[in-house]
Amino acid sequence: MNIADFSDQLLTAMINADRAGAADIIECAVAAGVDPPRVIAHILDPAIVSLGRLWEGEAISLAQGFVASKIAEDALLRCLPVGGVHQHTKGAVVIGNIEDDFHSLGRRTVGLFLTAAGWDVYDLGNDVPAEQFLKKALEVNACVIGASAMMQTTALNIRRLRRLIDARGLRDRIKLAVGGAVFNWRPELVAEVGGDGTAHNAVGADQLFIRLQSQVKREVAQ
Amino acid sequence: MNSYQRVMNTLSGRAVDRPPVFAVLGAYGAKLTGTDPRTLYSDASAYVAGQKALQAEFGFDLVMTAFDYSALAEAFGGETAWSAVQAPNMKRPAAGSAAQALALPLPDPGQTGRLPVILDATRQLASVYKKNVPIISVLPGPCIMPALLMGLENWMETVLFHKDIALKLLRHTGVFFVDWANALLAAGADCLVVTESMASSDIATRALFTQQFLPHLTETFARIDGPKVLHHSGGRLNQNLDLLPGLDGLVGVTVSSKDDLTQARQSLGPDLTLIGNLDNLTLPEVTAAELFDMSLARLRIAAPCGHYILCNSAADIPLTTPTVNLRAMLAAAVAYSTGVGCGR
Repeated sequence: MNIADFSDQLLTAMINADRAGAADIIECAVAAGVDPPRVIAHILDPAIVSLGRLWEGEAISLAQGFVASKIAEDALLRCLPVGGVHQHTKGAVVIGNIEDDFHSLGRRTVGLFLTAAGWDVYDLGNDVPAEQFLKKALEVNACVIGASAMMQTTALNIRRLRRLIDARGLRDRIKLAVGGAVFNWRPELVAEVGGDGTAHNAVGADQLFIRLQSQVKREVAQ
Repeated sequence: MNSYQRVMNTLSGRAVDRPPVFAVLGAYGAKLTGTDPRTLYSDASAYVAGQKALQAEFGFDLVMTAFDYSALAEAFGGETAWSAVQAPNMKRPAAGSAAQALALPLPDPGQTGRLPVILDATRQLASVYKKNVPIISVLPGPCIMPALLMGLENWMETVLFHKDIALKLLRHTGVFFVDWANALLAAGADCLVVTESMASSDIATRALFTQQFLPHLTETFARIDGPKVLHHSGGRLNQNLDLLPGLDGLVGVTVSSKDDLTQARQSLGPDLTLIGNLDNLTLPEVTAAELFDMSLARLRIAAPCGHYILCNSAADIPLTTPTVNLRAMLAAAVAYSTGVGCGR
């Protein structure tokens, strides 16, 4: 079986919410001589990208996405060196649910997929004040803050984080990613709260964060 | 024809003077009476005053008891997050694991926490509106109820990876679901609106719903002696609508704004009432004229064969929704029934 076949099988396991089957596939790949970094890069990552396309087309339920994130977590634990750090990290990012928001599942799933994609994720949890987001981002030198909100009322609290970033003159250095169910229902809310971008699902967060990171690099270089 | 007759005739497929109209307005009552949300959701008289103010202002065809699930989470031992601008939310569930959730004692509807406040408000609403305006009570579905004890993530993990424990939890919380539903009916609710996230294709696959949840829904509904509406709870429902007819006491289904009304009717069959389809978040963003047109469009699709209630989908409408917009929904139903909106 070639490496693409393993990836296809892993995608099927994700769609079928088959966590045990997915673990077997990873084991088979390692046993067949695929070294752990290649398992992540050439089996797990393409499967996640394909899953993201299906999710984009609204063909994936929250339950399937949740299992897929668990499969990604299992694969990382199996393949990452002790200490759980990627050989080449993409950088540090800070995520959390904005103040007054307590809907953690989406954010946790985003965190798992970002970790699987190679980011150093600092997850601040629920009900995070704007000041705490920014303080952590500066502390870990994060280029992106990901603020999550499920409802419109709480999404509007992200505006405070936007104002804080701007007031500190950090607009070019720290980008603001926003996400959560309400942004899928009302895309115009992204601009309304001052977000620099959003992803429609947890898998899409990686591409969004890459794009925002490259914007930071461009703007800081100018 | 009063609202009670209009709604009951709609549910049973009889003639009406105009299609019933409703907007999910709980916290909006506090806006009208100048009450803070914490008082509104902690004091039965304050809540009833809000509903009375809404009736006086708009005259929608239903009144609603508190759409407040934090009271249920709190009754199990969880913590509530209060806000000055929205309905309360669950801040922290009582249990950190399925095992802990299974060990939690079930609340007593008449005794525990703020549950008696909701029952008292229901009784007060019944004393004011019985037989004039139907009283609906909203409660979380039996398949999502465990999430109120342990959080959605833990519940999903249990459902997907520990099916035996999930079944035990469903049975455990199912007892409370039935007790709470029957308590609301005994207090005067005319109909229950059961928000069941696990019936939505955005949350669970059809196979998961069919295998793990539909049997529990069927079993618990049979133990509740009153009419019920199944609510989409934020996600799309169309994929599973054909599975719902036959649920004991089911009189209608509230679909999401992303569901197609024509397809919904085909899947649901002719005898159950369809409710909703107006997008919650749009209500404050559009003009009254636009909302009138949007309402009329839904009525033209769904009302000709009866069994349709015009309503917003999802939960409480945003407090920023102008009153003229809410009146536009009612105006659309009047225009439709008089033929102005029928293109005749």
